[in-house]
Amino acid sequence: MNIKGEIDLGLGVLDHQLIDSEDHRCGKVDDLELEGVREGNPRVRAIVTGAGGWRGRGRVGRLLAALVHTKTVFIPWEEVAEVGAEIRLRRTAAELGLGRGRDAAARWVEKVPGSSL
Amino acid sequence: MRKIFSIALGIIAAIGGFVDIGDIVFNVAAGAVFGYQLLWAVVIGVGGIITYAEMCGRVAAVSEKAVFDVVRERLGFSVGLVTLVAGQLVNLLTLAAEIGGVALTLQFLSGLPYRLLLVLGVFALFVVLWAMPFSWIERIFGYGGLALLVFVVAAIKLNPDWGSVAHGFVPSTGSGNGVVYAYYVVGLIGAAMIPYEVYFYSSGAVEERWRPKDLGINRANALIGYALGGLLSFALMISAGALLLPRGIHADLFGTVSLVAASPIGQLGLILALVGTLFAVSGAAIDSAFSGGYNIAQFFGWEWGKYRHNAGAPRFTIAWSVMLILAFLIVVTGVDPILVTEFSVIFAVVALPLTYLPIFLVANDRAYMGRYANGVLGNIFGGLYLVIILVIAVVAIPLLIASNMGQG
Repeated sequence: MNIKGEIDLGLGVLDHQLIDSEDHRCGKVDDLELEGVREGNPRVRAIVTGAGGWRGRGRVGRLLAALVHTKTVFIPWEEVAEVGAEIRLRRTAAELGLGRGRDAAARWVEKVPGSSL
Repeated sequence: MRKIFSIALGIIAAIGGFVDIGDIVFNVAAGAVFGYQLLWAVVIGVGGIITYAEMCGRVAAVSEKAVFDVVRERLGFSVGLVTLVAGQLVNLLTLAAEIGGVALTLQFLSGLPYRLLLVLGVFALFVVLWAMPFSWIERIFGYGGLALLVFVVAAIKLNPDWGSVAHGFVPSTGSGNGVVYAYYVVGLIGAAMIPYEVYFYSSGAVEERWRPKDLGINRANALIGYALGGLLSFALMISAGALLLPRGIHADLFGTVSLVAASPIGQLGLILALVGTLFAVSGAAIDSAFSGGYNIAQFFGWEWGKYRHNAGAPRFTIAWSVMLILAFLIVVTGVDPILVTEFSVIFAVVALPLTYLPIFLVANDRAYMGRYANGVLGNIFGGLYLVIILVIAVVAIPLLIASNMGQG
């Protein structure tokens, strides 16, 4: 992993853009799953993206999660290639189970002539 | 040489793209009621958009983040989502107002029924958004909007009392109804700083893959483009002040605006004014529709941008299409587009602080920005404008009610 120096998880990872291995935007870091906090050896286990991640983000997040159902995806931290301005992932969105919303929307857009313009 | 040419073209497009229906309505109405007294408020507004457009462009070039990436990272999910909802509502009102303006201008040109022109106008906008490359859209509507320069000629030909004009650039409390005057101050600053401009500007910078080497272009676009765009606002207010105020004509009808150019120049003036208005307002409609798509896509991390084809960024495409349809549904009810314009500007003012504060914070963050972080000058202006927009955000709605929407 290409991480130089310290990273503030709150400011430098949470709410940042996820980019897959093919350079596509594929969601945001909606929440982080930590482990070992009680044992005094905390580490990030996974990035949480989707409605399940919003639930942990205050009342407004819970409200949105109740209104909009999207699939919650857990991305193991091992899949993170680089933490920079964006969070770059080692695999494609489809391989990580992140492409569903996009694919469903694409099926609608493709029905209109000129959708590849 | 080619680079200079391309920069100049960008600036020219920025001039024509500056004016939208909010600027037209507030500048002409302010001129008709208060003459040249409120020119200083336009200066403050233009200074604000220059300051924050430059900052957004710089953040985009250095960190590759657009406004709503930054809003979410800095304000967090909950406050960020509230900002998104507020920003989208304002965008929707702005888009509805611009669409109404397109139909009104087409009606002036053709005499056909308003609702029919609304349908045709929205369909034409959809086709442009769907099929035309980003750079073409920017240029065509920017250059077309330059026809509004006819108002500069009109302002000079109307031979205003230049002493009073110069006096108008000095801030004053004004004569006449104080509450209405204050309402116009807020409206003029808000119209110049309308948030879709920075959403669009910063997203465009990310889309065109600006890098720190492009910061000179960013500064030139923001500074020269918007300052010269502000010149059009001055011209609108000065011609309205010279022509409408002495005759006691109120600018309640959108058509009054074009007649301001027709009076000193004749039919050619009228046609240029209408064509310029059509391009400027259509361009603003396109920008605000795209901004709606940009904002929501950036907040949720979807693929966005016109450089990906329509099906390549499908949720972005659906988002701006939905914005266009909702805006159409608002104006097709028959609600007066001028009324929608005033509401859109006043509510935009209320939402301004939440848009500009995160930008200011990130532009100051050396972890992101390194040596491109705000300098002393950027912070003085940035901080000053944060205070100004906070004040006008607090007083905007009370003034809207107390002044009876500027009617006194």
